[in-house]
Amino acid sequence: MNTNGMAISTRGLVKRFDEEVLAVDSIDLSIPVNTIYALLGPNGAGKTTTVSMLTTLVEPTSGQAQISGLDVVQQADKVRQRIGVTFQEIVLDPDLTGRESLDFHARLYGIGKAERLAKIDELLKLVELDEAADRRTNTYSGGMKRRLELARGLITSPEVLFLDEPTQGLDPQNRTNIWQYIRNLKADTNMTLLLTTHYMDEAEALADRVGIMDQGKIVVEGTPAELVDQMGSDNIRVVGRGNSDAFCEKVKTLSNVETVNKSNGIIQVGVDSGNRRLVEIVEMANDSGFGIEDISVSKPSLGDVFLKYTGRQLRDI
Amino acid sequence: MNATILLWQKQMKKALVHPEEIVGMLIQPILWVILFGVGMRSLMGTTTPNSGNDYMTFVVPGIVALTAVSAAIAGGSTWLNERLIGIVKEYLAAPIPRLSILMGNASSIVTKVLIQSVIILIVGLLMGATLSSNPLGWLGGLLLIAGYGIGFSGFALAVASSTDSSEGYHMMIFLLQLPLLFLSNSLYPLQTLPAWMRIGAYANPTTYVVTGLRQITLGAAPTMGPLANIPLWLCFLIAGVFAAFGMNLALRAFKAAIK
Repeated sequence: MNTNGMAISTRGLVKRFDEEVLAVDSIDLSIPVNTIYALLGPNGAGKTTTVSMLTTLVEPTSGQAQISGLDVVQQADKVRQRIGVTFQEIVLDPDLTGRESLDFHARLYGIGKAERLAKIDELLKLVELDEAADRRTNTYSGGMKRRLELARGLITSPEVLFLDEPTQGLDPQNRTNIWQYIRNLKADTNMTLLLTTHYMDEAEALADRVGIMDQGKIVVEGTPAELVDQMGSDNIRVVGRGNSDAFCEKVKTLSNVETVNKSNGIIQVGVDSGNRRLVEIVEMANDSGFGIEDISVSKPSLGDVFLKYTGRQLRDI
Repeated sequence: MNATILLWQKQMKKALVHPEEIVGMLIQPILWVILFGVGMRSLMGTTTPNSGNDYMTFVVPGIVALTAVSAAIAGGSTWLNERLIGIVKEYLAAPIPRLSILMGNASSIVTKVLIQSVIILIVGLLMGATLSSNPLGWLGGLLLIAGYGIGFSGFALAVASSTDSSEGYHMMIFLLQLPLLFLSNSLYPLQTLPAWMRIGAYANPTTYVVTGLRQITLGAAPTMGPLANIPLWLCFLIAGVFAAFGMNLALRAFKAAIK
């Protein structure tokens, strides 16, 4: 497999647990160096399993995956030296202080004492934990724990950093903080970041590229702008009773309607201007005997893209 | 090797954070010797006159084995806990050999066992047991205990790697622990056992470790009958094989769990 300077590349990556559970269903990824890539999808989509394979924690059932050109199975040890990872659940030892946690981690990677001490101080300042550094981690708040884990992932100066749901359970202020750290990392280093999230705003705010994942597959991939643009400038969502197919056909004939999708009873109409076309669409519904129960206008989001490709609403999950 | 030492240090540091664990670790062996040893000695004194201090000498290695088993069970429980919380993932993602992760745990368990063993020997002495006059015998004894501790730690870590339930772990370990302790000559002389139990005792590594300790670490206990007819080299061999077997078992279970 030719990696061509890709930080992460996979081909036909599959993970099957037992006989019947197909957690990851043939994923192909090509993520260039110094990219922030977000795997966006609901819980259970296979994001964590994908990360587990890429970070050598579980072996793929079939297919290939390489980090910086190194195979995650055959060259697992070399891969481990080049990656950092924060897990979905907080995995800090409650009996160690913040500083001890970082020190232990750095020593696991064989980092020498002088470099270790300098790095620990630098990172504790970066994530604003220098004052709490000598307290045991079981006294930390959720946000402090996440920040310490981020520092831990960075202490080995990885080429590729994996962040599995980095802001899960955090309040808005802490989330924005973490986002800023992540953006700075990309700007200040040559690091490649792969993060998983089920928050569409997180993927929109951070990612250079987004892969929308559902039921073990990447259903669509692109930059957030590309994905959202295909939904039209504004998005009108219609839910109602009656012959929706006939209604959709008629809506398509309107000028200034860019796209029409129907999935799972929700009709999404991409238009140039939502407020102006709303009336036309309502009239069209009346003419074709389609009873509107709910209609709303919004700027299209990755959530709408998710709905288009999976037939389900991301926020419902 | 470095990773083993590092994980050993971490486990030891974690133990030091909890004073109650240290206190319990130090007091438990003292209670065993005083409550169990002295009580059994009185019983033996009534059935076999003049055997009192001989029994104390006899039973001290048995109490060492028992303590080693409890420490290994506690260590396996810590491991299960780290697995369930997810802390183990930090080790797994790091560029260190999988075996060193287990060895770090087992060696920290054995360190605690050795400290406890020294306490048992001292308290046993105070309670009337006699010790070998040869310091080499004491060192050899610690070696036997270390091998036994690593071996049973391996069993505990293997079980803790194969289950996701604390109850399941303790039930499985209990099933292993009972025959390992009582189907041996650790608490009573071999010659008093019925034949089928004696056969079981000969198949049990505990018998060899305890017998080795009696031969080189403690003094003679003539009224307890002849020592099991086992050469010393075999005691060391079995302790070594048991250690290797236990760790191998743990490694297999651990690797199967992360497939």
